[in-house]
Amino acid sequence: MALVQQIQLQGDSGARGSARRIAGSPVLRVVGRRLLSAIPVLIGVTFLTFAVMSTLPNDTAQAILGLQATPGQVAALNHTLGLDQPFWLQYWHWLVKVLHGNLGTTLEGGSVNHELAVHLPATLELLAYALVVSLLLAIIMAVLAARKPNGIMDRISLAISMLGLSTAPYAFAFLLIVVFAVKLPWFPVISTSLGSTPVSWFKALTLPAAAIGFGLFAIYTRLLRADIVEQMQREDYIVTAKAKGLAPWRVLIKHALRNSLFTLITVIGLNLGGLVGAVAIIETVFQVPGIGNDLLTGIGNHDLPLIEGIVLVFALVTVLGNLLADLAYAVLDPRIRYGSSTS
Amino acid sequence: MSEPLLMVDDLRVSFAMAGLEVRAVDGVSFSVDPGRSLAIIGESGSGKTVSCRALMGLLPAGTAIHGSARLRGSELIGLSDAELRKHRGSDMAMVFQDPARSLNPTMKVGAQISEAIKTHRTVGKSEAQAQTIELLRLVRIPAAERRFQEYPHQLSGGMRQRVMIAMALACRPKLLIADEATTALDVTTQAQIMELLLDLQQELGMALILISHDLGLAASYADEVVVMYAGKIVEQAPAARLFGRDGAVRMRYTRALLDAIPHLERAAHSSLPVVGGRPPDPTVRLSGCSFAPRCASAADDCRAKAPALVEHAPNHLWACWHPCENGGAA
Amino acid sequence: MAVPLPETLATPAPPSLPSLVSSRHLRAQRLGRTLRFWVPAGFLILMLGMCFLWPLVYKLPSPTNGNIIYNNEAPFSPGHWLGTNQLGVDQFSQIVYGGQVAFEVSAATTAIGMVIGCTIGVVAGYAGGWVDAVLSRVLDVLIAFPALVLALVIAEGLGPSEIHVIIALSVFAIPAFGRVSRGATIVVRGLPFMTAARLAGTRGWRIIARHVLPNIMPGIVTFSLLGIGIVIILEGALDFLGYGIPLPKASWGSMIAQGQQIMTAQPEYVLIPSLFLLVTVVSLNMLGDALRERWGVR
Repeated sequence: MALVQQIQLQGDSGARGSARRIAGSPVLRVVGRRLLSAIPVLIGVTFLTFAVMSTLPNDTAQAILGLQATPGQVAALNHTLGLDQPFWLQYWHWLVKVLHGNLGTTLEGGSVNHELAVHLPATLELLAYALVVSLLLAIIMAVLAARKPNGIMDRISLAISMLGLSTAPYAFAFLLIVVFAVKLPWFPVISTSLGSTPVSWFKALTLPAAAIGFGLFAIYTRLLRADIVEQMQREDYIVTAKAKGLAPWRVLIKHALRNSLFTLITVIGLNLGGLVGAVAIIETVFQVPGIGNDLLTGIGNHDLPLIEGIVLVFALVTVLGNLLADLAYAVLDPRIRYGSSTS
Repeated sequence: MSEPLLMVDDLRVSFAMAGLEVRAVDGVSFSVDPGRSLAIIGESGSGKTVSCRALMGLLPAGTAIHGSARLRGSELIGLSDAELRKHRGSDMAMVFQDPARSLNPTMKVGAQISEAIKTHRTVGKSEAQAQTIELLRLVRIPAAERRFQEYPHQLSGGMRQRVMIAMALACRPKLLIADEATTALDVTTQAQIMELLLDLQQELGMALILISHDLGLAASYADEVVVMYAGKIVEQAPAARLFGRDGAVRMRYTRALLDAIPHLERAAHSSLPVVGGRPPDPTVRLSGCSFAPRCASAADDCRAKAPALVEHAPNHLWACWHPCENGGAA
Repeated sequence: MAVPLPETLATPAPPSLPSLVSSRHLRAQRLGRTLRFWVPAGFLILMLGMCFLWPLVYKLPSPTNGNIIYNNEAPFSPGHWLGTNQLGVDQFSQIVYGGQVAFEVSAATTAIGMVIGCTIGVVAGYAGGWVDAVLSRVLDVLIAFPALVLALVIAEGLGPSEIHVIIALSVFAIPAFGRVSRGATIVVRGLPFMTAARLAGTRGWRIIARHVLPNIMPGIVTFSLLGIGIVIILEGALDFLGYGIPLPKASWGSMIAQGQQIMTAQPEYVLIPSLFLLVTVVSLNMLGDALRERWGVR
């Protein structure tokens, strides 16, 4: 992913200068280019889904009408639902509707938009909760570990990360339930409703978030720790910082960590796409009212519009994740943000 | 006669590599007077950088450092890191070789300098900023207020090195160590930076240690010269005595280094008398003189016993059994 | 998943500082390194032996049908050393045969992913230009495609089976290998000796075969070990949801799913398969790390 061209920055600091900087800025170019390339990806993904679903034998109409339906009724329903058209035509109709903001109607008759609107927040909240907490904990653990490579904290962090990487979220979820919802009744076993108070929200989402977050925590810790240790051992600017008389913690946090966070943010973005699968499964285990749960139900019903709508959302999340990764670099790394000056 | 600012006595630095002991610095002694400059010359692996980093406490943990180094009377060797930190950056400071890599790329230049100030002095943010801009002016960076807000990659190589110098001078150190500070720069910029260092030395009354492999640098800018080879000092004298027309270089190695400098007066297409061979393996301790394998005039006694560093002439020490006569080619 | 895109995992083992280790320390380091390779490798060999060789030697009770008289036997009962579930099916043989499935599926998926994914990735990385642009788009689409959905959809439409699981998971594996191999190829392509080879007139295919592939292989192999672990977990997820290996055929995921119903009373039905799953994947990950350390891959 070639990021950015270096721009010669004429002009001074100050309002005019910064306005000029942003307008011609590398940041906008990156965003623009990424968004443009995202469109074929989104189309590709949704098209593929349509193709797959349509080529598989499906008896949606049959399923809706039940066993007693006559072939004539089945055919009629198929026609009404548009299921007898070639799939690329079906896709085209769908696409047109989507571009008008309408994601279609589910097989049960409800609007897909509505379904998503009701259930998307729960999923997003769960994701955010898992992500933020695991990130914070990972930063703390990585910093403690990197302080003395091969020391006690470091070995502990490596062991915990290895565990986190290797556990299946669905298996871990059960461990959590047994320990924290049954033996120690701190949390509810299932979270069908998030409740209306912050406390109930917190209680409902903590175990699911932990099930997802453990793996995330492991990845982030491993990456961050390795990067920080590498900075501390190989980079010259760290020696300069020490030569200034800075205390070791300051060097670690203000210099090494700062630079390592870039790599981490990129990884978080890239990982986002893969996360949606885990979220779907965990939602099922804990009965969280999110779109993951919806997806599984939809697949069981062969509910194409609903599936397509959710797949679209998932693909959007992946694409946005990649965009975030690129963007993070462009915005945060001053070498890209400011280019090189003429001097 | 004034008390030396820095007195290094029998400094030995070794570390373990793959189970073997590596003597990077093997009994080095020198001193620097306040306001004077000392050049430490040597090839890579001679121990010149390691000795100075040992003083500053910048060597990795697990390195064995023995001997004595007194800065204004206080002993540096054996101090804990916390205690050494009080000196690092305030009494003694260091400037490094590659300013492109030695500055934090994601931190503004001004912030990096202010950090140096705030580590040792309690000052408010605006006061630190004012002092930083003052420092930028001191190292002759134009448009100091603007540069304060810029990032390292926005500056040219020479300016980055000036920033490094400004960082080092933040607390007005009494001793500045320049570790190959100009090696990564082009020749014109090199001269500018050296001139700057000398002027600053005069203005601030600092002592200067110049680490380099460039004899020419030593000749032009240093008061005293120390030549190191394989962890030991092999020749030590005031610069005036070593270089120039009545140059009295004695030790064979120094002679070889001098001869290897290309001169305009040489005959066209004549081959350059480079020093053959390679620096010795630091894990192997030779019984004789460490330069003997590469020395054109090595004799049996050279290989048998290592010559000691002795003051054979006033202020001029060398370690050689068969030194050159009167600076002429051997 | 929280199952990461494997290439986002960084070097875990701290780089051993070459210059500061005394000889005693060094021996301890070397011992550690040997252990880190052989302990997980040993476990894996044990697991593979248990799943594939043991049934040939010793007749195990059926993993699918059980005698309901002997249901809910506790672990270490005679004849059923891991006990039986509520239908009387022997747990140990379920683990063994479930393990067979896990290894077969993950090996097949990883092999497919490696072959197809690396082909795409190396070609894209080496050719550059519009070829790269197009192939990268294809990889992007495949990555953004939720493999889970595909697996469920296929299983739903065509009925669950091992083959379908392999196909669905390959859609996940191919772009993963594609990305990694593309990245590695680009790095190798930039190295000076590559320019030398090109200048010497070596043809494209030969360069790829003799220069690119040997250099990216260490990274690909360590990555694939990681990948196998991830696929095992994913396959388990599918079984868990009921869209993978069809019941009553044994699989670790379905064991976990079945166990969840009586989890509170008898957690061992969930714990035992989870434990085997954990040990297998940990061993794979540790082995991958040890190899990475040994081969100096980043």
